[in-house]
Amino acid sequence: MNGQAWLLLLEGAWTTLWLCGIAISIGVVLGLGVALVRMAKIPFVDQILVLYISLARATPLVTFVLFLFLSAPMFGINMNRNTAAIVAMTLNTAAFNAEIWRAAFLSFSRDQREAALACGMTGGVFFRRIMLPQMITSSLPGLVNEMSFLIKGSPAIAVIGIVDLTRVTNRISAVTYEPLPPILCAALLYMLIISVLLKLQAMAEKKANRLAM
Amino acid sequence: MSDSNAALAVSIKRMSKSFGDIEVLRDIDLEVKKGEVVSVLGSSGSGKSTMLRCINWLEVPDRGSIHIAGERIGVNEAAGRKMNNKELATLRAKTGMVFQGFNLWPHLTVIQNVMEAPIYVKGMAKDQARAIAEQLLEKVGMSERKDAYPFTLSGGQKQRVAIARALAMSPEVILFDEPTSALDPERVGEVLQVMKNLSSEGYTMIVVTHEMEFARAVSDQVVFLEKGLIIEKSAPDKFFSNPETERVRKFLELSN
Ligand SMILES: Nc1ncnc2c1ncn2[C@@H]1O[C@H](COP(=O)(O)OP(=O)(O)O)[C@@H](O)[C@H]1O
Ligand SMILES: [Mg+2]
Repeated sequence: MNGQAWLLLLEGAWTTLWLCGIAISIGVVLGLGVALVRMAKIPFVDQILVLYISLARATPLVTFVLFLFLSAPMFGINMNRNTAAIVAMTLNTAAFNAEIWRAAFLSFSRDQREAALACGMTGGVFFRRIMLPQMITSSLPGLVNEMSFLIKGSPAIAVIGIVDLTRVTNRISAVTYEPLPPILCAALLYMLIISVLLKLQAMAEKKANRLAM
Repeated sequence: MSDSNAALAVSIKRMSKSFGDIEVLRDIDLEVKKGEVVSVLGSSGSGKSTMLRCINWLEVPDRGSIHIAGERIGVNEAAGRKMNNKELATLRAKTGMVFQGFNLWPHLTVIQNVMEAPIYVKGMAKDQARAIAEQLLEKVGMSERKDAYPFTLSGGQKQRVAIARALAMSPEVILFDEPTSALDPERVGEVLQVMKNLSSEGYTMIVVTHEMEFARAVSDQVVFLEKGLIIEKSAPDKFFSNPETERVRKFLELSN
């Protein structure tokens, strides 16, 4: 591993990070949106969302990315690789996140809502000021867990030609003829990223437990 | 629209409520004057909680009318329709409620629990809300713990905070639903003491309770509910020493 190889590796890491970062940010909010709409139990819309969630959760990411990238032009949509990767990862992670948010909704105590209504809060104020902050705290461990799953699953996007942290190791060994060092270094970088998330998760769990008491 | 008698904090007329086939409240009539304390007694399942929860529309009664400080709740009489959520919230803000299980918001500190509704319902400035909350926490003896989170408090402390939270909206009436039933026996006194103080300060209160001594000492009226009916409604002296019905006599014997 020379300087040039490290540079390539870091470039791959950056590609993984920014693509996943965008997918995670949109996916967390989109998941909340899906969960909210599902709580409203609108006929038809609800069935569509249930279908989306089960499909997205059952399909391997690699299949999903490939399908999206190849089928988009058929619907007249022009997607470059990065967009296809972001859309696929976002739809994938949002489906998991929607279930996490929904569980937080369903387990929320009715008592707190009544206390809020009793002192004159509207449903909207109650949601923003009382429910959402606690839902964030109690969902965070699950959400962070899902984030690390997404990052670990992200090498799937190489299937449409994106050079991510895993794919780049191929490129490096094609020049150096030493496949092992770049893979080891990539693993190290993944571990670094995931360990930051794990640390975050531990903090989130501590806070969530305090809330539950 | 305003009720003819503006001196009434709460006026309930012929209120009924069923859950499915079961009629839980039947033709409830009750008038509570400003500054009065009304105790509501009755055995478990007699409809006490439901009655209280209908007053602030947490449950929607099937028939009858309820006025809070002269204003009809649930129905916008001027517009001839049901109240929308915003109108309901505005009128609910004129009532306070204290629950058996405290129902504090666990993600907020003690003082934040008290400040929350004045700021986000009334639109009060934070400084002013804080000043009021500090006064109220002083009143219930919780000043020292104002920055604590609810999970660090005892039941009695939580309930005193919940009372301060209800007071923060300067309600026309405070509804207490068995405020001491979930407490350890040695914590009951501190909460009852706070409630006694409130009554002597002139707060209007409707209290569902099993604390007979409190009811006798503090109430202006005692109401006895049996299977959704008010079967007795009288001054505490009469209620406790010379009840009209055999049922109340039995109840009092059993609770002694
Ligand atoms: N949300 C509800 N749905 C169905 N039945 C209810 C509901 N709330 C109360 N009840 C029933 O109404 C009756 C009166 O309940 P409640 O007002 O809680 O009595 P109390 O407070 O006097 O113990 C009980 O039989 C109870 O089971
Ligand atoms: Mg009850």
